[in-house]
Amino acid sequence: MLLVHCPYCEEKRAEIEFAYAGEAHIARPLDPAAMSDEDWARYLFIRSNPRGRHHERWRHIHGCGRFFNAVRDTVTDKFEVTYKAGEPRR
Amino acid sequence: MSEALARIDPVSGSAVFANGVTLTLVEPMARFSLRARQPEALEQLLGFKLPRKIGASLDCAACLGPDEWLLRAAAGTKIASGSGQPVSITEISERSVCLIVEGARAAEVLASGCPLDLDRFAVGRATRTVFETVEIILLRTGEDRFQVEVWRSFAPWLRTALETAALQLR
Repeated sequence: MLLVHCPYCEEKRAEIEFAYAGEAHIARPLDPAAMSDEDWARYLFIRSNPRGRHHERWRHIHGCGRFFNAVRDTVTDKFEVTYKAGEPRR
Repeated sequence: MSEALARIDPVSGSAVFANGVTLTLVEPMARFSLRARQPEALEQLLGFKLPRKIGASLDCAACLGPDEWLLRAAAGTKIASGSGQPVSITEISERSVCLIVEGARAAEVLASGCPLDLDRFAVGRATRTVFETVEIILLRTGEDRFQVEVWRSFAPWLRTALETAALQLR
């Protein structure tokens, strides 16, 4: 069982309580109408997909219900750190 | 007309005893979902303190998330609507039913499907979690006594699962 530390509950909980929510720190463009289709498509679909440290969003959906950010190693599947939404990139 | 309507519970109200574990259905009660960014706003409105730590409970209120509380009270209890205040109060009395798992091996029965570390889940704690794949709210009301809040439509399955786990304890 993979345990994930929820920064809001401040404890480790089972992975089954969480939902993955894609790459983190992707800000929605402030003025989408001013963007070209290519730039908009890049914002919507293109992700970094790194091998190694990956910043991603998770949601403690069967717990406190909160979204938070995590750094997970995509090779070892180990969580390096989790932190609250809105905090700077680790 | 409403006097003529019979109340139907999703699971049988009769208790189950197996291997020292008792499974019972709690009488209907009033439940409210309380949401607010500032708990003080809710406290001022309701007139009592709310637990601030996620997973803690205080009297009839349990803190489920940073801005979310579950309030449980006797059936028919009415509380302020919170209209015009920066709070959200929703009555959810009939959304779920509550099962009590009680007995020296109650934790073992719950551990058959719940991933929480129940040894570290102290009396008075309350949290949303899962049993197998069914979302529940688990409250530890005593060393050997747990309350399981589960949505009505999941209750028959959950009760069967808990009963099966209790019967199969070795």
